[in-house]
Amino acid sequence: MKRLFTVLTIMISTMAMAQNGKAITEKKTFSRTTSVSAEIKADPAIIWKLLTSALDYPRWNTTVISIEGTIAAGEKIRLKSTMAPKRTFKLKVKEFENEKCLAWGDGQGTRIYTLVNKGKGITTFVMNEKIGGFMFPMYAKHIPSFDASFEQFAADLKKEAETIQNTRK
Amino acid sequence: MTTELFNEEFKGITGQLRSYLLRITASVHDAEDIVHDTYIRASEKLHTFRGESSLKTWLFTIASNLVKDNLRAKKRWPENVTDICKAAAHSNPQFFEEAMQIKATSTQAAFEIKEHIAFCFTCISKSLPLEQQLCLFLKEVYEFKVSEIATILDLSEAMVKYYLHMGRAKMIEIFDGRCAIINKEGICHQCSELNGHYNPKQKFQEEVIKIEMAKEAQTVGKEQLLDLRMKIVNEIDPFESGAAALQLHHLEHNRNVMEKYV
Repeated sequence: MKRLFTVLTIMISTMAMAQNGKAITEKKTFSRTTSVSAEIKADPAIIWKLLTSALDYPRWNTTVISIEGTIAAGEKIRLKSTMAPKRTFKLKVKEFENEKCLAWGDGQGTRIYTLVNKGKGITTFVMNEKIGGFMFPMYAKHIPSFDASFEQFAADLKKEAETIQNTRK
Repeated sequence: MTTELFNEEFKGITGQLRSYLLRITASVHDAEDIVHDTYIRASEKLHTFRGESSLKTWLFTIASNLVKDNLRAKKRWPENVTDICKAAAHSNPQFFEEAMQIKATSTQAAFEIKEHIAFCFTCISKSLPLEQQLCLFLKEVYEFKVSEIATILDLSEAMVKYYLHMGRAKMIEIFDGRCAIINKEGICHQCSELNGHYNPKQKFQEEVIKIEMAKEAQTVGKEQLLDLRMKIVNEIDPFESGAAALQLHHLEHNRNVMEKYV
């Protein structure tokens, strides 16, 4: 219940402030949260499949180099991102609610993907990542902005999902 | 629907059903068995057919369920199936002896480049996950609508579209890397090699350029090239074509090789 409230709060504030794929970042002393939201004209099932098919990410997502592992509840994945090509992020899938919510993260941060079916063929996609911790002030300035990467992620997802949705009948 | 009408309609659909099942299973024996089982099952359940879908959709539904059962325990083929099978054929003198025997005695043993393109598509499509292969063939070769495929495979239309997109993307990637007909840097020259073997007097380049896919290879995009490739598959009945006996022999060979390999 608490987690659902948190997710809903993130979604509402994000949707109000970050429409149409523009990222926003909120900075605090011990954390930083980046969010992006996009309206995607595609069935949530399609978007979910794209988000949860690990091996397929590099084909449609220009911010991801590779993801190894299975994106499923409790599983561990190894992700390489164009933002930090030399690093492999070892992440655990923390939330996996079919066609609604996916979350993965490590000790330093958690990324949450949320889908809301708005009806009439439209899905609201929200991606939110909070990084931080007690030592955050020591290294915060060394972590580059996620804004451009988030916007690209959302744009790539929107493009791919809508292409699939528009397959001729 | 009366039994007489059903039998007549079934007869009209049998050809498509058989070729579909052959392309999914890569086995003449399994394809014919499943056609037979489809007939039996449909006959037994005819009273449940209410006409909500076409009879063709209904029969393909039954057949697809049977083929999924057939393939449930079997592994998918690797993308380089044609390389592996070529190597196996070259190390087996009996393969070419049998092929030349078929060529000498059958009226359906002409080696046509188009037929081999269709054969190759069948083999490589078995490297896709089964749902993607089924969706691709049902849509692009057997011309069902997305909504009909959703009924046949008991999927949502969204998932049919997803599997179609994924299947197409994968096939484009594979053929772009492999097929020397559409890509000068392609690593597979089997069409020209086999043409040289079976039609030694024929000039491959003169023949291949008559095929639209080859002619347009440098001018159209990869999606259109795949469409042109699937158009070739669509136009060939693997049981009735002029090359059927030869290609079925090749397919049986490949299936036997893959059974041991995977």
